Amino acid sequence: MALVKLNDLEIEVEDGTNIVEAARQHGIEVPHYCYHPGLSRPANCRMCLVEPYGPIPGAPPGTIGPARQLATGCTTTVRTAPPDRKLDDKYDAIVQTDSPRVKKAREDILEFLLVHHPLDCPVCDQAGECDLQDYSYRHGSDKSRYLEVKNVPPKKDLGPDVLLYSTRCVVCTRCIRFAEEVSGTGELGLINRGSHDEIDIPRSHEGVPLQVLDNKLAGNVVDICPVGALISKDFLFKSRPWFMEKANSVCSGCSVGCNITVEYKADGVYRLKPRFHEDINQHWMCDDGRLGYHYVNSDDRLQLPLKRVDDELMPTHWADALTVIQEQLSEVAAEDIVVIGSAQGTNEDNYVLQQFAHDVLQTTQLGLFGQLPGEEHKFPQFTIEADKNPNTAGARTILGSANGNVVLEDEALWEKVSGAKVVYLVSGAPERPLEDAEKAALENVEFLIVQDILPSEVTQLADVVLPGTTFAEKDGTFTNSTGWVQRIRKTIDPPGEARVDWEITQQLAKQLGGEMNYHFAGEIALAIAENVPDYADTTHQKIGDAGIKLA
Amino acid sequence: MSEELIQIETPFAFNAENQREFDELIGRYPIKEAAMLPTLHLAQRQAGYITPAVMKYVAELLEVTVMKVKDVVTFYPMFFEEPVGEYVIRVCHTLPCALRDCKVVLDHLKAKLDTDIASETNLAKGTTADGKFTLMKVECLASCDVAPVIMVNDDLYKNLTPEKVDEVLDNL
Repeated sequence: MALVKLNDLEIEVEDGTNIVEAARQHGIEVPHYCYHPGLSRPANCRMCLVEPYGPIPGAPPGTIGPARQLATGCTTTVRTAPPDRKLDDKYDAIVQTDSPRVKKAREDILEFLLVHHPLDCPVCDQAGECDLQDYSYRHGSDKSRYLEVKNVPPKKDLGPDVLLYSTRCVVCTRCIRFAEEVSGTGELGLINRGSHDEIDIPRSHEGVPLQVLDNKLAGNVVDICPVGALISKDFLFKSRPWFMEKANSVCSGCSVGCNITVEYKADGVYRLKPRFHEDINQHWMCDDGRLGYHYVNSDDRLQLPLKRVDDELMPTHWADALTVIQEQLSEVAAEDIVVIGSAQGTNEDNYVLQQFAHDVLQTTQLGLFGQLPGEEHKFPQFTIEADKNPNTAGARTILGSANGNVVLEDEALWEKVSGAKVVYLVSGAPERPLEDAEKAALENVEFLIVQDILPSEVTQLADVVLPGTTFAEKDGTFTNSTGWVQRIRKTIDPPGEARVDWEITQQLAKQLGGEMNYHFAGEIALAIAENVPDYADTTHQKIGDAGIKLA
Repeated sequence: MSEELIQIETPFAFNAENQREFDELIGRYPIKEAAMLPTLHLAQRQAGYITPAVMKYVAELLEVTVMKVKDVVTFYPMFFEEPVGEYVIRVCHTLPCALRDCKVVLDHLKAKLDTDIASETNLAKGTTADGKFTLMKVECLASCDVAPVIMVNDDLYKNLTPEKVDEVLDNL
């Protein structure tokens, strides 16, 4: 550990920490544009200049003072000095981040950065979460001295989801470094020279692209852009950032379990952004996950329970739907019932489901359903997994947790289903196509209960459809492929009369005379912690925002 | 994405002579990417100007992304991305040449060739109708002692007057 005097603070930081990070750890902001903790450090924006202290050449030994030149905080690291090189006999480094020289430097750098900036904050999507805006307010000058003509480079289409407003760009090159280092695709670069520098994809002289920014991590360049230059088409002009509420959650797009922030308003989810987690997704998420939330806001969402009347699914009310199910279930023997949980559902949903199967229906025949596997995509610093369910590992363990439970998957499951009389299938996988064998098996079932979020091939075969909820409308936990148990949080209300999945199952259990009385997801998590050996620590309180890795 | 990707119909490749030269020069650099400038010069000499096909070929040759090549091509004014005349005439207009009346030389060339001066983004403006000459202004050609100077393709002509310019053009 190095002892650093940072302004008036005496702080201890690990050797090799750069000054921007050291200051951040202790609540001091060193403004920066080009520096990003997940990327290399070119130190080209000069915004993070700080004033290091050291021995003054020619002065008597022991005299220290500010260095002749300011240093960039992102590339200047602190480490333990040998005893004879300590400053003031004890410090390994002395750094000022708010001296008059530093303040003047920041103001001057900002003046340069604003030379060609259009100052179009009122129509810019980034306004409110823009580093240029924030730093100008905090560190910039209150007037402009620039009277000359500004460069007006064009607005450019870089890829399926990314637009570039070149005028707003401060050429920090974060996006270029992202495309080189993290995605490894290298579509981005700088064209022209000096103050005419522009970010671009390779194009012919006439402007026709040779390559576009269409890799599956492309959306991250919008997040790391410190200004409003790179903009997501999906979010363009949709909302001001300060009008949205935010909740920490987990992406439900695949089994990686990227930490995300869901940004939403009362009328729906507006965007998903990655949230840092050192061991899972670092700073990134893929575009499949980022743009895959639209089904949540879909007008087609199931809003009412449906029951089959004369071969057609007709809307009904909850009490009726549950009574119909009760009638069917009480007529068949336990071994003719199959209960199928979902890898899209939370651990809590699946726990209540298996409890319902085991305690109320007294069947140990459970199945696991979910999205079909997709393709795995590997990037130098990121992997998108083939399993497109967020909770395969968790659902498998939780469903099989009670005594004697068997969790069937794939072929074994469909074989079992085709011989069953009543099947209670929880799906929750949007747009999941059915394979021929699966379809045949489900058609064979006498009475099929499907709990889902959208009309699908599965709901078409159902006798009763119960409207469930998506990841954005409920609390709970997901277990990712590497054993991290993480929380998702409720953001918006479910549409119409749709209900949280475990609540539906519990209602059904009560209808059939079962004893089950959970009030909120955290309570179920406590029951899981008590009854599932691996999950002893996974109460919602302990999981928090960081998650817990199963042993 | 509304725009279509460019389709390269006729791929570019070095001819035998340039391939030999490339094989010779690539050995002088520790990594392939370092040979970018001489390779591009070689390619430009063969193709006349840097087309998308050339960029793609050079990128594959040097094992870098196309964007890296585009980056370099747009950085240096000596690489052209549109057709230029057979003879590219670069007129120095930095201070010593300006003091020694480069403007006279430039005006004479403009009048004689009946063309405007090319800009970096619009070379056609300075190219003669017959496609023989491209006229452009450049910064210092490192020959201030013999100002004013012009460069025609790779050759430097010194101490110019309108008469000498006529002579130079006649001898091309």
